[in-house]
Amino acid sequence: MNIETFKYDNRVVRAFAIATSIWAVVGMLAGLLAAVELFLPGANLNLQYITFGRLRPLHTNAVIFAFVGNGMFMGIYYSLQRLCKARMFNDTLSWINFWGWNAIIVAAAISLPLGLTTSKEYAELEWPIDIAIALVWVVFCINLFGTIWKRREKHLYVAIWFYIATAITVAILHIVNSLEVPAGAFKSYSIYAGVQDALVQWWYGHNAVAFFLTTPYLGLMYYFLPKASGRPVFSYRLSIIHFWALIFIYIWAGPHHLLYTALPDWAQSLGMAFSIMLVAPSWGGMLNGLLTLRGAWDKVRQEPMLKFMVVAVTAYGMATLEGPMLSIKSVNSLSHYTDWTIAHVHTGALGWNGFLTFSMLYWLFPRLYRTDLYSVKLANWHFWLGLLGMMFYVVPMYWSGITQGLMWKQFTPDGFLQYPNFLETVLQLIPMYRLRAVGGSLYILGVLIGCYNLYKTARQGRFEPDTEAQAPALERSGHGAESGHRWLESKAGLLSVLATVAVLIGGAVEIIPMFVIQGNVPTISSVKPYSPLEVLGRDLYIREGCVGCHSQMIRPFRSETERYGEYSKAGEFVYDHPFLWGSKRTGPDLHRIGGKYPDAWHYNHMDDPRLTSPGSIMPRYPWLLTQKLETNSLPARIAALRKVGVPYPAGYEARAQKDLEKQAATIVQNLKAGMVKAESNREIIALIAYLQRLGTDIKAGQAPKTADLAPLPQTTVSLNP
Amino acid sequence: MNDPIRPKDPLLLDHEADGIQELDNNLPRWWVWLFVLCVIYAAGYLVYYHVLNMGPLSAAEYAKESREGEALKNAAQSKFEATLSGLEPSKDPIVVAQGGKTFGTYCAPCHRADGGGLVGPNLCDDYWIHGTNFSDNLKVVINGVPEKGMLTWKGVLQPKEIYSVASYIYTLRGTKPPNPKPREDQVPASTETFE
Repeated sequence: MNIETFKYDNRVVRAFAIATSIWAVVGMLAGLLAAVELFLPGANLNLQYITFGRLRPLHTNAVIFAFVGNGMFMGIYYSLQRLCKARMFNDTLSWINFWGWNAIIVAAAISLPLGLTTSKEYAELEWPIDIAIALVWVVFCINLFGTIWKRREKHLYVAIWFYIATAITVAILHIVNSLEVPAGAFKSYSIYAGVQDALVQWWYGHNAVAFFLTTPYLGLMYYFLPKASGRPVFSYRLSIIHFWALIFIYIWAGPHHLLYTALPDWAQSLGMAFSIMLVAPSWGGMLNGLLTLRGAWDKVRQEPMLKFMVVAVTAYGMATLEGPMLSIKSVNSLSHYTDWTIAHVHTGALGWNGFLTFSMLYWLFPRLYRTDLYSVKLANWHFWLGLLGMMFYVVPMYWSGITQGLMWKQFTPDGFLQYPNFLETVLQLIPMYRLRAVGGSLYILGVLIGCYNLYKTARQGRFEPDTEAQAPALERSGHGAESGHRWLESKAGLLSVLATVAVLIGGAVEIIPMFVIQGNVPTISSVKPYSPLEVLGRDLYIREGCVGCHSQMIRPFRSETERYGEYSKAGEFVYDHPFLWGSKRTGPDLHRIGGKYPDAWHYNHMDDPRLTSPGSIMPRYPWLLTQKLETNSLPARIAALRKVGVPYPAGYEARAQKDLEKQAATIVQNLKAGMVKAESNREIIALIAYLQRLGTDIKAGQAPKTADLAPLPQTTVSLNP
Repeated sequence: MNDPIRPKDPLLLDHEADGIQELDNNLPRWWVWLFVLCVIYAAGYLVYYHVLNMGPLSAAEYAKESREGEALKNAAQSKFEATLSGLEPSKDPIVVAQGGKTFGTYCAPCHRADGGGLVGPNLCDDYWIHGTNFSDNLKVVINGVPEKGMLTWKGVLQPKEIYSVASYIYTLRGTKPPNPKPREDQVPASTETFE
């Protein structure tokens, strides 16, 4: 036997570990500020860069892609080398992966506060960054598969199956969901519209949770938990069954984010049915984790790292039982758009991803630095503060979500809404929002203590850049003694192909019919493209992140049609690139806001929401009243929208500016009637134009057309007396 | 990894990866049943709604809910409208205060918080366009004046809210808010006025 000596690369693992710790603090502080803004609407100090709408995507991106992303790379780069008995395929690729990924995050941290966003959740970054993400991910894939190729271990351990599924699926999800046509260096329009965009987005969004936050972390659990506890994995068979079931079923569940929306019923039902089937495969992971600890619970008491791990796996079990429960249509009708969802995702983020990441960090630092953990006591403080923080975060959010959901639906015996004023339901939640911020602060305090502990651990030890190891070279010529899954585990290529097939089926069955079968999006002839001013207004709506708090999707419940108007139809969104249905109602739905208030009301409301709605928690937008509307890019925007399928006539770019000015002048007139003096070239004018157009086409079947605007509809519903 | 105290677990598989071993435990029985029952439920759900078409889908559910709710509402509304001519504005401060709250939420966007008029007319002067009877005012609130942009509040506001807000509006009459909207019959319809 030819024994080879080689070295594991610890440097890149350390780099990812440090980045993980830093981004944890940054991402969570952004979340805390966003949480504070919900009960102190002036907390952004009237700075447009840190309103809730712009901060929320910064927070989610920083936590998911910066904190968990770096944590995932850290764990994979550490464990993959050891499980393959090989150094990473290529050091240069490792460092491109590290610096590329973190440069993307810095780009996100700059561009999101500037309002450069596609508005698609967890895919907000604009097209140049999207391309960079794809490239860096490919680098990661090459490095992953390259290492697997040159491994000295014949069989792939279960952790690696999960890494493979992650690498392949994230690449597919990211590329398909990010297809967009640029309109300038920092602006693009999704090639999908309305219902189709929603379906693709939530196929992506749901499976970003599945394949970015779940499968890699399950893989990491399968490595670090048995390593730290010194116990064998509970059941090899369970690993096999739950792995394949999980990756096959997960992909189908995306439409559960769109229950009771304008998405066709059959797709909603598939989403719900597969979500329910997902309970057992998810719990398979939790069981295999917790049952591995049989006989090692004494160690859990002593070892902080295992405490974090146990809570992480338990939180995973809770979140993956709750997820399917929230996918049951009747439960979803209450929970959707409320803080219940926020509670749910934070069980996953703070508990599962957060605690598992800290668990890995506490395990890795002493090993990378060849020393003991600086302080077990501080680690225990971190643990208890984190746990308490989670409780204070999650419980108020459940309370808040259920309270608001019930208030929205409550009718009087005479069939009137009990709480017709949306704001009344918001004011009930303010104490819960305060408590949530307390919970978040406790959690962050724990993280800071953790970072200090890790820093001191590093200081007292000596970093080992490379760990030397020995193993016999892999015999490539296999003998057919094995069969079944054990045989498959030695065939990395075949296993990868099968995993790819498993994840492609669900998406294909749901998405392809939505594009090829006309009946899924019935046409409504009165629905017309947006006017140039409305296009720019819509882009401002996207820039300000309005979609973070306002849905544009009225569900077919009487409690919603009484409050907002006719429920939303699939055909109304055919020119919406991207769709802006939203997923949370911190403020009311806006799909039928058009014509509901006079232009002047919107003007005053944007200047200071509390002028028109006392007690409102919406931030002020005074800059919209003063900033000049940027119209130079209008031709590029019209052209890009035409490219994605909006039927603007050929050469319309040339007339667009004139039409824009005409409509702006009408709005200025309307504002005058409402005692507001405004200039026609300000951003607010465009935003008002868009808001007044929203949801009105379906009512205006016979709207008069003027010659030079045709085929565009005549501006907004005028409320001028 | 072998525990020195206990004998080797007979279920221990003979392979390992970086020192990690695996046991060959059976799938927990209850877990298998959980999986099977979930799959049966999911399949049953899809068949029930989309193959046999036995259950109502969203639109049908909504139509039913809407029918029942509207019937309740219409009954209450008709009962209220039958009594209009006999109603007098309430003097009860609690009722008036409730009306004021409703006014602030729904009427102020067009009539201004103090009733001085914005897009909608001034409610504080003596020039009342649609009649000065209390029942006339109630009817304006109930049915709106669609051609002038006044919305229909029937079905949005409850009868008691319509009554209280109309009572509140009666108290605005004769107040002198600053900078009120001019009377419609005294100014040309042009918007030049505000320049």
